[in-house]
Amino acid sequence: MELRPAFQLKTVIKALTDVVLPAVDANNKLAQEQARLVIGMLQLVALRQPLMYRYERDELARFLALAASLQDETRAQPVAAQASRALAEVVTIGTDVLARARAEPAELESANFALREKIGALVTASCADDPGNDNSARLKAIGAKVTAHAKAQLLRERSWLLMQGWEADPQALPTIEALIGDGPPAP
Amino acid sequence: MPIDKNRPSEAWIGALRARFPCEREIERVLTRKLARRAGVGFAPLGLETLTAGIEALLRAESIADFAVTEARWLAGGASKLQVAFKLGWHQPDIGRCVTPMVLRMEPAESISESSRLREFQIIKALDGVVPVPRAYWVDAEARYLPYPAIIYGFVEGVAKPSASSTKVTGVGTFMPPSLRPSLGADFTSHLACIHRTDWQAADLSAFDQPAPGLQAILWELNHWERVWEEDAHEDVPLMRLASAWMRRHMPAVDHVSVVHGDYRTGNFLFDETARQITAWLDWEMAYLGDRHADLAWASKDLLGHLAEDGKTFLVGGLLPRAEFFARYEQAADLPVVPATLSFYDIFGTYKIVAICLATGYRAARNGKTHQDVLVAWLCGISYSLLDDLRVKLEAVL
Repeated sequence: MELRPAFQLKTVIKALTDVVLPAVDANNKLAQEQARLVIGMLQLVALRQPLMYRYERDELARFLALAASLQDETRAQPVAAQASRALAEVVTIGTDVLARARAEPAELESANFALREKIGALVTASCADDPGNDNSARLKAIGAKVTAHAKAQLLRERSWLLMQGWEADPQALPTIEALIGDGPPAP
Repeated sequence: MPIDKNRPSEAWIGALRARFPCEREIERVLTRKLARRAGVGFAPLGLETLTAGIEALLRAESIADFAVTEARWLAGGASKLQVAFKLGWHQPDIGRCVTPMVLRMEPAESISESSRLREFQIIKALDGVVPVPRAYWVDAEARYLPYPAIIYGFVEGVAKPSASSTKVTGVGTFMPPSLRPSLGADFTSHLACIHRTDWQAADLSAFDQPAPGLQAILWELNHWERVWEEDAHEDVPLMRLASAWMRRHMPAVDHVSVVHGDYRTGNFLFDETARQITAWLDWEMAYLGDRHADLAWASKDLLGHLAEDGKTFLVGGLLPRAEFFARYEQAADLPVVPATLSFYDIFGTYKIVAICLATGYRAARNGKTHQDVLVAWLCGISYSLLDDLRVKLEAVL
């Protein structure tokens, strides 16, 4: 899926900076200020979005450490027992989430990228003309596997971009939520 | 060592050139694109800068005593910048006059990288064959303008009906019933004229003439596979499969024609009152090859719509598919071969995915166009097109 936020934001910021902002009425101070703020806000998103997951993970680790430290400190305080039990419940959840939050989004993207490239190269190598051998059967067999995968993958990509309006029958496409599930399975 | 496509090495460019031999001018343009890729992106240009460039070009063409006035931006299309202006000059054979003109110029990198010289030559070659703008001058090497450009005459007309809502670049234009008979007749007969024209009599020095047989399609496959190779970010195994299948099933051309390369509704202007096509535009992807490339592309589902009965597909929103082919065969006196049509349907889809998903991504990612946000938006159409490619491949595998 090529339309990722980093790519999209870059083009949106350039359009706003090069085309839209110069066309905003110079006498409309509110519009001028807000156009610049929109660009600034999007630049901030573009700068920090790649680090967002790492930031959340780092924050979670630090709060878990603080929670553990405070639980040690307050263990002997009956007045804090109820609050401590409540904290322990979310510490359990947070610890589990942190344990599962290992690979970063960029690593997932990179792994997909590498697989796409190497699978493509294998398809090309395997289906290339092979003097003396008729590769027709292999092309057919590999073709069946590649098209079956593409059918499922493209359904997701088309559903992801449904609001762009390219589909002749948008109602026929499942929602992206239905296609990719609610999230990772419980441990 | 991974290849950095945003900063291509000379060795990698050389390897691509060797691996994908194609027409010399195409090869030159693609290599120029890669050589400049690591350079600066597109920066906004003022109309004053472009006017000065036009004036410099006109002086170089020995046009004296002229005035360039009323320059204004034109919208439409995803690949080139277009500026309308008026030229007061002494036009040969006419005398002193004011001629409405259009400057058509490349950005730093375009969603479809192509040659202005080829576009200029093919428009001149088709002048008098079908309605085209009159091509006046070309700045093929950007000696006078910031980027390579052509200047042609402004033609009156609209690209879509006034009341029609359309997605970007003319895709999905709805043609009302009142326009269909006459525009459909033009659409078909003009295609026949293009394919029947005697191109050997024209100055097409920027076009290599393919030998009979497979050379034209081999050049085209190399052209677009090279584009995929040098521009794609994420690979798509289905594209590799399509390439492998096409290389095994290339049909020999029985009649080498001028191929428009993007013949569709949205790429012609028409007079809404007279209901006639007034000009065919966007010749940048024209080449000498098999007519079925245009026939398959023009009749794609994406580029037409259903009639009011909800069942009959109208090519370009104009006429039923069977009628389009039958009328074409009669007008061109050339057969429409179903197997060849099927091959070029797959080829055309491969090509448009290479343009939208590979080049579109690369050019916008590097800030190389005048409308990166539109080019990025267009990437999104690729997945529906890829699904169409999948269905077509499943049918022939």
